[in-house]
Amino acid sequence: MQIYLPIAEMSLNALMLLGLGGMVGFLSGMFGVGGGFLMTPLLIFIGVPPAVAVGTEANQVVAASVSGALAHWRRGNVDIRMGIVLMIGGFIGSTLGVWLFTFLRGIGQIDFVISASYVLFLGIVGLLMVIESIRSWFRSRNPAAPKRKLHYHTWLHGLPFKMRFRRSKLYISALLPLGVGVFVGILAAIMGVGGGFVMVPAMIYLLGMPTSVVVGTSLFQIVFVTANVTFLQSVNNQTVDIVLAMLLVVGSVIGAQIGARVGARLRGEEVRIALGLIVLAVCARVAWTLVVTPDDLYSLGFGFGGGR
Amino acid sequence: MAPRMLTVVLLLCFTPPAQSQSLVADLSTREVAITTGFTGAELLLFGATEGSGDIVVTVVGPQRDEIVRRKERVAGIWVNGASVTFEAAPAYYRIAASKPLDEIASPAILERLQIGTNRIGLFTRSQRPADHILTFRNALIRNKKRMQLYSEDISDIKIQRGRLFRSTIPFPVNVPIGEYLVTVYLFKGGKLVSEEEAPLTVHKVGLEAQIYDFAHNRAPWYGAIAIFIALLAGWLAGVIFRRA
Repeated sequence: MQIYLPIAEMSLNALMLLGLGGMVGFLSGMFGVGGGFLMTPLLIFIGVPPAVAVGTEANQVVAASVSGALAHWRRGNVDIRMGIVLMIGGFIGSTLGVWLFTFLRGIGQIDFVISASYVLFLGIVGLLMVIESIRSWFRSRNPAAPKRKLHYHTWLHGLPFKMRFRRSKLYISALLPLGVGVFVGILAAIMGVGGGFVMVPAMIYLLGMPTSVVVGTSLFQIVFVTANVTFLQSVNNQTVDIVLAMLLVVGSVIGAQIGARVGARLRGEEVRIALGLIVLAVCARVAWTLVVTPDDLYSLGFGFGGGR
Repeated sequence: MAPRMLTVVLLLCFTPPAQSQSLVADLSTREVAITTGFTGAELLLFGATEGSGDIVVTVVGPQRDEIVRRKERVAGIWVNGASVTFEAAPAYYRIAASKPLDEIASPAILERLQIGTNRIGLFTRSQRPADHILTFRNALIRNKKRMQLYSEDISDIKIQRGRLFRSTIPFPVNVPIGEYLVTVYLFKGGKLVSEEEAPLTVHKVGLEAQIYDFAHNRAPWYGAIAIFIALLAGWLAGVIFRRA
């Protein structure tokens, strides 16, 4: 069943899009991640102009994270003060990011920057995940090994504008979460992701937040930041395709529920190794498109999506 | 799904021979509607000539600037480098003829009428050397052909019984919206004896058109509604699955 997507200006099979949403939703439910980092490259692989893929994914991530954010909110797993500081940073970052996106699109470099960002961040995060999981897997076999310190004190903790975050039991400079928020906001705008895969490790290792509030607080921030990206991409670039977003949303919310049930039965380390390998596979696939000699060195750069 | 067949019939005057009017044409349908199920369209063009002759049909789409970019290898990675902008290039161009163009008319005539993909008027302000411009120009045409937006079907038009002819005009799913001009030329002995023009509109209709217009004309509202729908869908999913 072919459906014409009004903004992407192409015709795709609606069932395939539902299936794609379902598959990514399943993985995101199983691994507890947003899924934007999988969906955006997949959309680009099936021929959606990269700019439309990024703008539309931001919209889809709003839907994908809101139910999780509400569930964590009800259970009191959101550090609201921390979430608001992260959100302010996220607004600044995503606004900068969309501005940068518009600029890069104008000079014809947006496709390259999207791909390069994916290779860089998926490469780093995927490697860290795999290494960390293998280590903890070995530690669990050898309980005599010394435990790592959870929280290191560095110069970062000497920064001014200290704030008390009661829920996270932290007294740190507000500049830290603000900086994390800005950085994740830029990524959200350029890569069409929620940015949880960067924010969650940053909250645990950099800010030293307790894991109980990390996921809820990051989802809280992601809802607002991806909403901001959706709005700004709509206004500046007209690259948000509501029809495409809705098909993906329907598939992904169902997939996520099934995935969450399956994920609950799996062991933590195994899940993390599997996720790390998937992340690395996507990274390798995107990297391939950058190094392989294109069929035609020349491309057209009019209007939507740059190099279509 | 097979491409929808829209029929454009050139209504012809089978009036008694009037030497001045050897080809009179009109289009019965002047629009290609892009709907939810749009997968491309194919127009069928019918016509007839007064006595023998050679037929050439051109379809020229809306004009706009096209940027051609060349990828260059930087540290092993392919990045867009040099670019040339062609102003007011046709977004769509199609030509069909009853026999090879050089057998129909002299290059000078074909050049003047811009008949043939290699004769499309493409203007640039770029200061690059002429051979560079030509390379970029060829790249534009090559890319457009790959996207099926430029096409050439020489010898495609068959003239039956010396006067009836027909030709199909394919519009791919990525057909640009706007105003098109269909021109039918009749050549006799290398000379242009008659020429008929018919405008054609490609536009989005129904929900597709509304969403597209809304996104472009009321962008802030579009963004706000996109967010609202996403919030609603996410919240609803949470409620439904919590009960289940």
